[in-house]
Amino acid sequence: MSVFREHKSIVDRAASDRARHKKKIDRAIKESIKDVVAEESIIGQNGKKKIRIPVRGLREYRFIFGKNENNKNVGTAGDHDIHRGQKIGKKRAEKAEGQGQGQGGNEAGEEYYDVEVTLEELAEYLFNDLQLPDLEKKKFRFISQESIKRKGYRFKGIRPRLSKKETIKRKIRRKKMAIAAGTYDPNSEERFPFHKNDLKYHHIKPKEKDHSSAVVFFLMDVSGSMTKERKYLARSFFFLLYQFLRYKYERIEVVFISHSTDASRVNEDEFFKKGTVGGTLVSTALDLELEIIDKEYHPNSWNLYTFYAGDGENWSADNEIALEKFKSLKELSQLTVYCEINEHLTAMYPDELAGTGGAFEWAEVSTWKDEDPASLWGVLNPCADKDFKRVTIAEPQHIWKAFSTIFGGQT
Amino acid sequence: MSDWTVDELAYWDEKIIDVGVDLGLDWYDIDYEIIDYQEMLGAMAYTGLPTHYRHWSFGKEFERTHTLYNLGMTGLPYEMIINSNPSIAYLMRENPLSTHLLTMAHCVGHSDFFKQNRMFRYTNPDGIIGQFKVAAKYVRTLIEDPSIGIDRVEKILDAAHSIKYQVPRTPGIQYKSRDEWLLIQKRLMQLDPTYDVNLEKVPFEAEYNLLQFIGEHSRNLKDWERNLINIVEENSKYFIPQALTKIMNEGWACTIHQMIMNKMEVPDNLHLPFLKLHNQVVRPHLGQINPYHLGFELFQKIIKEEGFEEAKLIREVHDDMTFLRNYVDEEFVREQNLFTYSFKKDHKYNTIDDVGDRVGWKQVRAELIRNVGLNRVPIIYVDNLSSDFTLSLIHEHDGRDLDLKYAQKVFEYVQALWGDEVKLITEIENETWEF
Repeated sequence: MSVFREHKSIVDRAASDRARHKKKIDRAIKESIKDVVAEESIIGQNGKKKIRIPVRGLREYRFIFGKNENNKNVGTAGDHDIHRGQKIGKKRAEKAEGQGQGQGGNEAGEEYYDVEVTLEELAEYLFNDLQLPDLEKKKFRFISQESIKRKGYRFKGIRPRLSKKETIKRKIRRKKMAIAAGTYDPNSEERFPFHKNDLKYHHIKPKEKDHSSAVVFFLMDVSGSMTKERKYLARSFFFLLYQFLRYKYERIEVVFISHSTDASRVNEDEFFKKGTVGGTLVSTALDLELEIIDKEYHPNSWNLYTFYAGDGENWSADNEIALEKFKSLKELSQLTVYCEINEHLTAMYPDELAGTGGAFEWAEVSTWKDEDPASLWGVLNPCADKDFKRVTIAEPQHIWKAFSTIFGGQT
Repeated sequence: MSDWTVDELAYWDEKIIDVGVDLGLDWYDIDYEIIDYQEMLGAMAYTGLPTHYRHWSFGKEFERTHTLYNLGMTGLPYEMIINSNPSIAYLMRENPLSTHLLTMAHCVGHSDFFKQNRMFRYTNPDGIIGQFKVAAKYVRTLIEDPSIGIDRVEKILDAAHSIKYQVPRTPGIQYKSRDEWLLIQKRLMQLDPTYDVNLEKVPFEAEYNLLQFIGEHSRNLKDWERNLINIVEENSKYFIPQALTKIMNEGWACTIHQMIMNKMEVPDNLHLPFLKLHNQVVRPHLGQINPYHLGFELFQKIIKEEGFEEAKLIREVHDDMTFLRNYVDEEFVREQNLFTYSFKKDHKYNTIDDVGDRVGWKQVRAELIRNVGLNRVPIIYVDNLSSDFTLSLIHEHDGRDLDLKYAQKVFEYVQALWGDEVKLITEIENETWEF
C-alpha cells in the first residue's frame, strides 16, 4: 500500500533561486543591450513600444565535445528513406541537440532568452550605468522656473483659497463638543452655523522647479557619397543620442536637417530615406540651423544640441566657412558633435582590433587626421574641445564607443 | 475539476501492487506526493528532490521548463520518481485518472529498477533524502553567514558545477589506497630490479575524481569551500547511476507500465486514454534518440526472443553501454531506421554518415554507445601534482575534440578553485593543445 500525500498549500520553492537567476539575467541584459543599440529593429521606435531583446542565457559551462565530423550524433529516421551523405535539415539537427542529455546534458546549444522591454526601460538600462563625470554633467542645463504649490493650512487667507474640507471638519468637531457639553441639542430645530474660527485656508508656497527642455539638431550629409550603409550608421547613432537626451530632459524636440549642396529642414522619414546626388556644402546646413535657432529656439530657454554626421567630404572652398559656422553653433549649444562615418576608419578603434596586427592607435590616427589640413576633420582642429567633440564610426560596434567618447569626457 | 479521488488512487494502487508482485518485481515502497502544476515545475527544477541546496541554475531550469511548457513545446512529465527508500514520486493534480494509473505503474518499474539494477547498489537510498537536507541546510547557513554570503558561495558552486561530471563512472569500484599501491610497487621492485617508478607521485594513478582531488589537495581553499565541493561531488555520485542507465531505466518502466495495465482489468474509459499516452511516450523522435522508445523497443525484443525472466536478469546486471552492445543488432538498427550524422565544418551543415545496412550498422551502434549518458561527457583526469602545486590535467582524447570555448571557461573555473597554476592538455585537430 503506497502513501498518498496531498499538498494543501502551494510552496513556491524555486522562488529565491528564480529571483537570483533574474538578477543575473538583468546584468546580462545590460551587457547585450550595448550590442543591440545598433539593431535595425529598435531604431526609430517610439518610447512605449515593446521591443524584444535576445539575451544570451547564463551558460553553465562544462567540458563538452565540439561540433565536428568526429563527434557524431545518432537519430532515428522513422519512415523516411535515408542515404549516406544526405544533407539533413538545420532545424532537425538543431532539435537533435537536445537528445541524449540525461544527467550528462552537454550540447553547446545557444541559449537565448527573449526579454521584452520598452525603449524607456532600455534607455534606463543603458544610461544608468554610464556614470558621467561631474564635468560632463554640465552638459545638461536646467532652466529654473517658479511654480506654486499648496502646502498646509492657515487661519488667514483670501477667499479663493478657502479649504471647504478643513472648514467643515472644524465645524463638525465644534458641534460634537457642543453636544457633549450639552450646549447644543441635536434634536432641536436650531441650526448650528459656521463660525469665523472654523474657516481655514490653503497655504501656498512658491516652489522653484528645474524645468528642462532641449532641442536636438540632427544634421546629415545626404550627398551621393553617403551610401545606405553610412546613413544607417548615422541613424543608429542619432537614435542613441536622441534616447539619451530624452532620458535626461523632460521635454525634447528634434529638428532634422539634411544637406548636399543646399540644406532643407525635413521630417524624420525623409531625413533617413531621401538621397540626393551631387556635392557637399556643409555650411549650408549649419546656416539653416542658425536660422532656425534664431527664429524658434532661444538659447536662454532651450538647451541646444547639434549633431552633425557626414563622411568627411566637403568642398574645400567651404571648409573655412563651415569652421566659422561651427564655432558660432558651439557658442550657442550645450554640445556640438561632428561625427565622421566612414567604413575605412576601422583602424581607429584599437580595442576592437587588439591582436589583429596592423592597427593604428587611436591617438596616431587622430593626430594624422588633425594634420591633414585639407580634410574637414583637420579644419575643425581649432574648435575641438570639451564642448565640441569629434568622433568616427566605421561599423555598428563603434556606435556605443562613440557615444561614450562624447559623454565620457574624452575629446 | 479532476475526475478522481484519493480513494480511487488507493484502490488502483492496490491492484497495481498485486500485478507487480505477480510479475516478480521487487521495489521500494512508494510515497506519492499529489501536487499542482507550479509545484511540479519546482520539483522538476530540483530533479525531484524534496530538499536541495540553493543555486540560481535551478531557478533557470524552472524558467526554462515553464517557458517550454507555455509555448506548448513540452508536456510536463507524467512521471517523476526519485531513487530513495521509500521512493518519492509525484502526481500532478491536474492530470486525469488514466494518466495517474500509467504514472503509478511506471513508477513501480522505476523503483524496481532502482532497487535491482547493480549500478544503484551504492546510492544509499535510505539516507539520501537526509543527506540532501543536511547539504541544503549547510549551504543556507553559508549564504546567511555575513562573512561569506551568496556571492562567494555561488562562486564556488558555479565552478564546482562546471566539473560535476568529472567523477568516476563505474559505481562500486574499490580503488586502491596509496598504501596498497606502494606495497605493490615495492613488490614489483623486488621482483625486477630494473623496474623504476616514482613512489612520490601524486596522484599515483590517473585520478578521475576532479572535485575530490581539488577539494583534498588545493592549498588555497577554506574549509567551507572544501565542504561545498564535497557536496557537489556527493550530488554527482548519486546521479551517476541514473545517467548510466537512462535508456534501460525508462525502457524498463515503460515495459512494466504496459504489462501492469494489460494485466489489470481496466475499463475502456481508462484504457483508451492510457494507450494514447503510452504511444505518445514511446514514439520515436525524428532525428533524435528517445530513450523511452529505444529502451522500450529493446526490452520488447528481448521479451519476445528470450522471455520475461531473462529480461529481469538483464535489468539487474546491465548498464546502457552493455545493454546496447549486447542487444542492438543489425535487424534492430534497420527496423528502427537509425543513422549517424555529423556537422561538416566545410559545408556548415549536417550530413548523414552511416545508415543501418550491412556495412554501416556496426558503426551506427558504436556511435549510439558513444552518445549514451556520460559517454557524451569528455573524460578529464588529474595526471600530476607537482611540488610547486601545479595541477596537470589531461583530456583522455577519444577522437572527439573538445569545444574550445567551453573548455576555456571550465579551465578558468578550475583555476579559480585550485588557486595555483593549472595545466590542461588535449588534442585539437591532431595537434597537442595546452591551455
